Amino acid sequence: MKKINDRSMDIGPFVAAPDDDMLICRCEEVTKGEIRKAVHEGMYTLTEIRRYLRTGMGLCQGQTCAKLVKRIVAAELQVSPDELEPATSRSPMRPIEMEVFAKEADADE
Amino acid sequence: MKRYDLVIVGAGPAGLSAAIEAAKRGLQVIVFDENEKPGGQLFKQIHKFFGSKEHKAKVRGFVIGQQLLAEADEAGVEVVLNATVVGLYMDKEIVVQIDDQVHHYKGDAVIVATGAAENMVTFDGWTLPGVIGAGAAQTMMNLHGIKPGKKILMLGSGNVGLVVGFQLIQAGCEVVALVDAAPRVGGYGVHAAKVARTGVPFYLSHTIVKAEGETEVTGVTIAQVDEHFQFMEGTEKHFDVDTICLAVGLSPMSQLLKMAGCEMEDNPKRGGQVPICNKYGETSIDGIFVAGDVSGIEEASSAMIEGRMAGIAAAHYLGYINGDELEENMSCQTSALEGLRQGMFAPKNRGKILERTEEGVLTSMNLLKKGFVADDEIERYPGVTHRVGIHPVMECTQNIPCNPCQDACPKHCIKIGEKITSLPAVDETAQCIGCGLCVASCSGQAIFLLQEGVEPGFTLITMPYEFLPLPEKGDEGYGLGRNGEKLCKATVIEVKTSKAYDHTNLLTIKVPEEMGMRVRFYKAE
Amino acid sequence: MSNCAEVVIIGGGIIGCAAAYNLAKKGASVIVLEADDSIGNGGSSRNGGGVRQSGRDPRELPLAMYSVEHLWPVLSEELGVNVEYHKEGNLRLGKTEKHMEILQGLTDRATACGLDVKMISGEEVRAINPYLSEEVIGASWCPTDGHANPLIATLGYYKRARDLGVCFYTGEEVVQIQKVRGKARRVITKKNVYEGEKIIVAAGYESRKIVETVGIDIPMRKELIEALVTEAEPKMFPQMLGTADADFYGHQTDHGSFVFGGASGFESVNKDNGTNATSSITAPCICRGIMKYIPKLANAKIVRTWAGYEDLCADGIPVISPVEEVPGLILACAFTGHGFGISPVVGILLSQMALEEQTLLDMKEFRYDRFHAVI
Repeated sequence: MKKINDRSMDIGPFVAAPDDDMLICRCEEVTKGEIRKAVHEGMYTLTEIRRYLRTGMGLCQGQTCAKLVKRIVAAELQVSPDELEPATSRSPMRPIEMEVFAKEADADE
Repeated sequence: MKRYDLVIVGAGPAGLSAAIEAAKRGLQVIVFDENEKPGGQLFKQIHKFFGSKEHKAKVRGFVIGQQLLAEADEAGVEVVLNATVVGLYMDKEIVVQIDDQVHHYKGDAVIVATGAAENMVTFDGWTLPGVIGAGAAQTMMNLHGIKPGKKILMLGSGNVGLVVGFQLIQAGCEVVALVDAAPRVGGYGVHAAKVARTGVPFYLSHTIVKAEGETEVTGVTIAQVDEHFQFMEGTEKHFDVDTICLAVGLSPMSQLLKMAGCEMEDNPKRGGQVPICNKYGETSIDGIFVAGDVSGIEEASSAMIEGRMAGIAAAHYLGYINGDELEENMSCQTSALEGLRQGMFAPKNRGKILERTEEGVLTSMNLLKKGFVADDEIERYPGVTHRVGIHPVMECTQNIPCNPCQDACPKHCIKIGEKITSLPAVDETAQCIGCGLCVASCSGQAIFLLQEGVEPGFTLITMPYEFLPLPEKGDEGYGLGRNGEKLCKATVIEVKTSKAYDHTNLLTIKVPEEMGMRVRFYKAE
Repeated sequence: MSNCAEVVIIGGGIIGCAAAYNLAKKGASVIVLEADDSIGNGGSSRNGGGVRQSGRDPRELPLAMYSVEHLWPVLSEELGVNVEYHKEGNLRLGKTEKHMEILQGLTDRATACGLDVKMISGEEVRAINPYLSEEVIGASWCPTDGHANPLIATLGYYKRARDLGVCFYTGEEVVQIQKVRGKARRVITKKNVYEGEKIIVAAGYESRKIVETVGIDIPMRKELIEALVTEAEPKMFPQMLGTADADFYGHQTDHGSFVFGGASGFESVNKDNGTNATSSITAPCICRGIMKYIPKLANAKIVRTWAGYEDLCADGIPVISPVEEVPGLILACAFTGHGFGISPVVGILLSQMALEEQTLLDMKEFRYDRFHAVI
């Protein structure tokens, strides 16, 4: 079993760090401390962290913070970052206004 | 639904190259790009590229972009700009936003060439205005003619950090320091050397502690890090800056492929999440191909070859060429790509310290640690020789796949040989005529002409010079060493510009004889 | 690592996590097995967040009413996370006379069960929510309905259950339930074997394949439906919205973004590639639907779309039931897209079933053996 699959695994207690106030996800204003804490609350996958804290759910869709979050979570879990599957990619690849998305060009034109 | 043989996402070097090869073989090709201009990053690249003739070596990036566009146009490729791909759905359906509508397209084959995005690094104050990516700096300078700042600190000594650092200086910014947490310079030594000789100090094993300022960057503190990348107390250094430029690597923009359901892997060697693909760029989904940085971070030169390969592979996939033609078409691309992946910076050597060059010459540790080859190290390289009269001095000290200097010399003074990564050597039997073509041909600006022993007590140095304003004949200034240190007075003897030099000016200065092997840059009074 | 527990729960969605939490609270030892790497990666994280009573099948209504009355209002406090519950009403909107007929029917059936829901006019609708267009001619209005954040609620149950000692194993795909001496006991995954006195199967549509291994079948099918979310917008309205035409449903979250679900109309025949991939035509269709009702959102930017499978039961309500013919087996599946709102009470009911206590509500309508041929 992969380490992240056993949710009873002991990763030690959450220890506050001086850089816990550092913003990591700028779009949703999530700090390093919040991410580290969420790991200790059982959020072991990037998908769970994302759903729990909204990291990478803002306008840039994680383009900026995905790797940063991954590194923080991996360090907290004491696993290699490669063991953490990046969150899913979803359309639209870029934010798109509702009225534009709604307007589908005629296929015959 | 609108249907094409081939839909390509991304009109950068990889996408355009793919489009050209496919269209030449008869495929109906459409290329979408979300930007208002095609070319991807090429139009920001004002420097000359490395490589061989086949790799468009010594041609400046933006010119390569123009050439690719012309070729694509001639081949009948349809390039749609300001076209943002919304998603890649089942049945190879692409939904793309153009103006205020979305359009549905299907490609019998799809090539994703979406490139990469810049990595970020966090430090206290990293979200302050004034902290920018190197790509943003390039966009401002080279596309829009705007200086990103007045005083700038560059973080990152890879090729991006070095090239953009140099371009910042060219744009008239003051680069106060080039900093990297790694213990050694990551990019080409020649790129580092051209920055160092202008006087920019390199701080390896250092990184940013904090960006200072309340509402914008007003300064920066860096400090040394130990082998575990932990700050060492008491090593802090402060700089007044208004801009901090980050060049800390790229990540493939592979989200579209992941969305489409291609098998992906996390591969740190390729820069992050990349599709699993075969040697021609075909992913786990039939008919979806990739090329360029999206499948692994490399240089634009390799992206172009990968693009060509993906275009040829798509042509084969759709029956426009047969298996024999595929093999035949691919073989030269494969060897060109292999050529680029040789030398000290080859993927297989990543992270290794190479103590000797392929020729067995000791590596310059000073170059790796400070950005310049020390005076007592330079004489060991085969490009550095002495003779009475004019002759080239090639301060090319690392094996990189690049050889335009060899062909540049009409007198065949420069020898690299069959192996493109070999260090250039001087052919002592040939006679240099001082034409300077080699100086201008060197993308690394590492070739100088020395005229020794002609005027007693003095040496004339001809150097590549890409700064404005251009010095004028008779100007008095200083000769700077490889580390940017002022060494002596220098007089400008000649400034040559020529179409053949392609905007690399040749500046000849006169320095005292003993400074001939030490001075490598000129600064006005 | 523990392989034995009093109760093994198959499925780490909100139903499984809520059951685990309630069992652990009563002191039972529990193992939860989730096939995906992440907790709650099925419908639990993909639904529109509605906590509704109106519009439900009368048989299901008691579960929804109990949850709304007793459980949702205190859930944030109980779980120690903000589940963003808002009890500020549900408007089910109509634009045509035919819509109004549908709404009237739903309203009549719900009032008969004692739910406070009534028909209101277009003007009354806009008095409650001024952003709704003039095309809306009326609605059914249930003031005690609302919405919550399904992502946080699911992970909140998980977090509390984990705090109470429940062992969660993810990436554990169950392939078989094995009987030992006449009772369901062993749970075989692709990698391990687990044992429990009781086995709760709460694995969505996948439950069907799992219980097949002990000769049980539930008549259900799956459909992939989609949702989307906008960037954060200024606060506009707190109600949950739905329509008689079922063209979209959703609400504005505490974060400011709008979450809307909807359909293209082809859901029952759409193909998929085995994953919950979105289709190219659904999100634009949802957008068109929304804009007819809330024109002001035309400029809101969509940042993400997603799809999730619903496990649709043949008769439209879930199976929540012990399986007496396979002693030890308890089923909780076929929630038909209505599971989130009733999950708090279902968690309690399942814990009662597993501990063989009297259930707090009559559960005969949800039995696994209620399905019969038409004639």
